[in-house]
Amino acid sequence: MSSNNGRPILEDVNVIVAGQGGDGSLTVITMLAELLRTNGLNVYTERDVLSRIRGGHAAATMRAFTGDRYCIGSNINLMVALDEEAVERNARQLDSKSVVVYDDSGGPIPSVLPEGTKVYSAPFNRIAMRTMRRELYKNSIAFGVVGRLLGLEDETLRETFIKHFQRMGQVILEYNLEALGLGFHLADEMGIHEEEGLYKIKKTAPEKRLLITGNESVAFGFMVAGGRFFCGYPITPSSEVLETLQKWLPRCGGVARQTEDELAGINMAIGAALTGTRAMVATSGPGFSLMQEGVGHCGSGEIPLVIVDCQRSGPSTGMPTKPEQSDLNLMVFGGHGDFPRIVLTPGHPDDCFYLTVEATNLADKYQCPVFLAMDQALSQNIATVEPFNLDGVSAVPGKRVEASDIEKRGVYKRYEFTDDNISAFAAPGTPGGLSLVTGNEHNEWGLVSTDPVNRVKMMNKRMGKIEVAKKELPRGRHFGDPGAKIGFIGIGSLFGVILEAMEDLKKEGIETQYLQPRTIWPVLEDILAFIEKCSRVYVVELNAQAQLAHILIHQGADPGKIINILRYNGIPYRPAELVKSVLEAESGSKIKKGKKEAKLQ
Amino acid sequence: MTMQTHIKTFAPARPIWCAGCGDFAVQGVLEKSLHKMGIPPHKLMLLAGIGCSGTIQNNLPCYGYHALHGRVLPAAIGAKLANPDLTVIAAGGDGDGYAIGAGHLVHTFKSNPSIMYIVMNNNNYGLTKGQISPTSPTGYRDNAESGLDSILMGLSFPSATFLARGFSGNPEQLERLMEAALDHTESKKGFAFLEVLSPCVTYYDTHREWRASVYNIDEEEGYDPTDRGMAFQRSLQLREQGRIPIGRIFKGEHASLESLILNKTELPPAQHKVGRDGHREQYEKFIDSYMG
Repeated sequence: MSSNNGRPILEDVNVIVAGQGGDGSLTVITMLAELLRTNGLNVYTERDVLSRIRGGHAAATMRAFTGDRYCIGSNINLMVALDEEAVERNARQLDSKSVVVYDDSGGPIPSVLPEGTKVYSAPFNRIAMRTMRRELYKNSIAFGVVGRLLGLEDETLRETFIKHFQRMGQVILEYNLEALGLGFHLADEMGIHEEEGLYKIKKTAPEKRLLITGNESVAFGFMVAGGRFFCGYPITPSSEVLETLQKWLPRCGGVARQTEDELAGINMAIGAALTGTRAMVATSGPGFSLMQEGVGHCGSGEIPLVIVDCQRSGPSTGMPTKPEQSDLNLMVFGGHGDFPRIVLTPGHPDDCFYLTVEATNLADKYQCPVFLAMDQALSQNIATVEPFNLDGVSAVPGKRVEASDIEKRGVYKRYEFTDDNISAFAAPGTPGGLSLVTGNEHNEWGLVSTDPVNRVKMMNKRMGKIEVAKKELPRGRHFGDPGAKIGFIGIGSLFGVILEAMEDLKKEGIETQYLQPRTIWPVLEDILAFIEKCSRVYVVELNAQAQLAHILIHQGADPGKIINILRYNGIPYRPAELVKSVLEAESGSKIKKGKKEAKLQ
Repeated sequence: MTMQTHIKTFAPARPIWCAGCGDFAVQGVLEKSLHKMGIPPHKLMLLAGIGCSGTIQNNLPCYGYHALHGRVLPAAIGAKLANPDLTVIAAGGDGDGYAIGAGHLVHTFKSNPSIMYIVMNNNNYGLTKGQISPTSPTGYRDNAESGLDSILMGLSFPSATFLARGFSGNPEQLERLMEAALDHTESKKGFAFLEVLSPCVTYYDTHREWRASVYNIDEEEGYDPTDRGMAFQRSLQLREQGRIPIGRIFKGEHASLESLILNKTELPPAQHKVGRDGHREQYEKFIDSYMG
């Protein structure tokens, strides 16, 4: 590092730490994220792991920035590669200005780097083994080098270590501090001295921001909405919803139960919902498939339930740790028979919080299943978000009757036909409100009935609730130039990628607009109107069958205007990749309208 | 029983069972026991599975629920944990409980919630016309396998607290067992499991056979239902002799699920008032914990 005066201020940096599972990549990234956040930067982190505890390629990526960013950037500025595979797998994200710190214990760096990439090589593993007798300290050694490169002060890095490792005991802390010291020494040898890194960090007091995942935000939204009963069965990538609620819900007098399977999960939540308790389950593809019978039962029996589907790559066991949006059909059309349902699609951890509050209220109000369609990246990536506004949300009770109301009416029918198709609910324990709840077709009293007149009326009542709900379901959020001819539609973790791709396209002189749908079932008029006013709309999806586009077309969108951009290789989109796909389509050379892009970068 | 008797709600249905079905005895004894224990209909949540027995909730005044096939136990546990003030009774047949829902029975023995579970065992699938069930003996409709004994299964759980078997042909004893089971759950002692031998007169009439093979263990001198080893040994011996033990087979002690997991300083989940629950302080703590 020759010049230290002209160092740019750190405003946007992407750092990846990659190696084998168990190498501690995530630890390094987590500590860096916390550290940069205390220096006033916002962060976003992503993990790329296999479904196993140790071994296999594993990487963690962090972006630190000023202002607003909702995804990992297009290029990695700084890479820490703990083995050859780490370089080979992630070289595609580097450019000529990238800096690579490479552990050459296992051999020289593979020649796959873009021209101009600066490489710092050192045998971190061998040094750790030689000096500390444990290879696991290699990431602490590397942390010293990376910290210096980022322009962080040695003392700040040391403090972070103390904060992070103290809870693991004095011995572990001392060893790690020793490893960090080795890292500083190594950095000196490489010529990376303190205050001579790539960036200058403009220390500002950190804004009040939360560092939180989508799953944790969903858990919190449920709590705040008065949710008091949760069931889950461990499954990647939804387990954090269970874990967060197991920690917090009992403190609010609620129950978060890990059940023996997903069948028990949804049915136990149903049992709680029958008592008037706000209930939720969270799962992922395979567990969601198991829950299907329960979903239809909620529709038929008019039982309020929130169902969170943290989508991962399918079908079947698929790729458990990879993001996908391929359960949309199952959420929108799954289950046997016809029944009402609502599917909401949050796009960022803060959106997860607000939409979960909505979902919980809507389930109670319309007495039907309400889905939250998440994806692995949205579920598990960590983002800085503004503190949730507790005064901006409220838990709105559903249509309930108490003993005194029933006393006045003199009659109680659980499935009474009403103007808004919603029947008042009397919780078990309420004198006078005796009722029957069943998935069988039933009459107003809840008694089983196959009478054809009643059947049609009852079906129309249930389906009719959705017509009433349409007026208040969450509308999409609009971004970009409202006059632009080119539109984007995309949900979940694609939200941030699309926003940034739009900025990059604008630099290329291409104006675009984006509608981030927040309700995909029923399909609301705002989405159809958006498609109508654009001359072509890129519907970006993480699945192979263009599920979202087909749902929109099914509900009246003009298929001639829709261009599918599909990805199902398990790798999260980077803005530049999306820009490339759009530019290719715009040039008309590679993709024709309505034809799927199955080509993967 | 309540002041609201003038309020019109659903009129309990007439049972759909065949004349002579053992389930009539079960319903009669259940109604009698509920009355005797002074449990008002609005405090009763009666959940039933799928099958002939899974219609019992339609026949008496209660908050009734017709569960999915095999899922009555998780639903009953959910209701009990959400509102432990309710008397929660699950009911179903041997197919519902021991085949499609067997996994949940295992975990209910394990977790010991204060609910009662009545299994009306008729050794076949009556509602779908007599197919082999998990309790069908070898030879019934060419059944190659042996029937299972749910009480022997229950005995293997350290957390089992109440295991009993009754016979619809012995309503006096069934009444004692039903009351004891209700008393067990009402005094929050945990899971009361009551299997009732309830013959299917239409597809597999075991009435006469059972009359001859039941063995009333309540009357056995020296039998100690609190002795798990003895309960296991006698059940096995009697089975080997072609006899079916009926009576209070096992009585154990173990903390109930709701006593272990509900926050005792808070109202139960179902009694929280939506929007007025007063947990703002916890919400703020949550937010603070993510500020780092």
